Amino acid sequence: MSVELVWALITGAALFGVGIYGALSQTNLVMIMMGVELILAGALINLVAFWRYLHPDAMSGQMFVLIVMTVMALEMAVGFGVAIARFRSKGSVEMEEAAELKE
Amino acid sequence: MITGQSIFIGFFGVAAVWFGIVVFRTFSMVRSAIALLFSQTALGAMFLTMQAEFLGVLQIMMMATEMSIMAFFMVMFMMDPGGMGKMEMTHQKRLSLIVGLVSFVGAVAIAIFIDWGPVATTVADTAQQTKALGLELLGRSMLVFEMAGVTILTAMIAATSVAIQPLPLSAIKHKKDRV
Repeated sequence: MSVELVWALITGAALFGVGIYGALSQTNLVMIMMGVELILAGALINLVAFWRYLHPDAMSGQMFVLIVMTVMALEMAVGFGVAIARFRSKGSVEMEEAAELKE
Repeated sequence: MITGQSIFIGFFGVAAVWFGIVVFRTFSMVRSAIALLFSQTALGAMFLTMQAEFLGVLQIMMMATEMSIMAFFMVMFMMDPGGMGKMEMTHQKRLSLIVGLVSFVGAVAIAIFIDWGPVATTVADTAQQTKALGLELLGRSMLVFEMAGVTILTAMIAATSVAIQPLPLSAIKHKKDRV
């Protein structure tokens, strides 16, 4: 087994774990989005590693990376749109104060 | 076997994870955004080490822009952006830590114990890779690529329409009367 592939996959796993921790533990919408960014970063490194070490001839691997990067940008754009709307109506983007969204 | 590439991948990997942890450890929101920028940049450097030059450069450029914008938003929206008051902004920490650790251990176990098959030692040079990616995007994967474009446009419209301040009903009526 390639050391490089295992290193990259362990990095992806660590970023995924840190991202999960951040997305679940933070109370601020912007910080939660940072957690989601780290989760997607973990997916990115896995995709690049699989392309490079297992299927370097299949360019669909790199295309998947572009799609994940697009998802990252979209998540930020829509997330900030929601944050602006929430801040304008309630004066805060704290999730602890957003319990009424459940009702 | 330990090679120069594996040393660099390990180094940038540790840097990416370390800065990822710093994101949630610091009280200053600006430092938090900058730590995320460094984490993503280390990831871009890993891509470059893995000879995916186009993706590496794209990652660094995109994340530099994205994190700068994020830093602005954090300063605008946070109650204590400088972290001077050391406000606690977390909840269910123990549960989050357990879920994060379990995810990490599970993913590492999969990475180590699965036989991934033969590993490629060589890869096409950058110019050939970029050409092949272009042909892939405008050939077999064109529909997926176009869908990504349409999705970006939809998200831009959605984000703008959510973010703009709705006019009061009286102002809309006044506008209609003038027309």
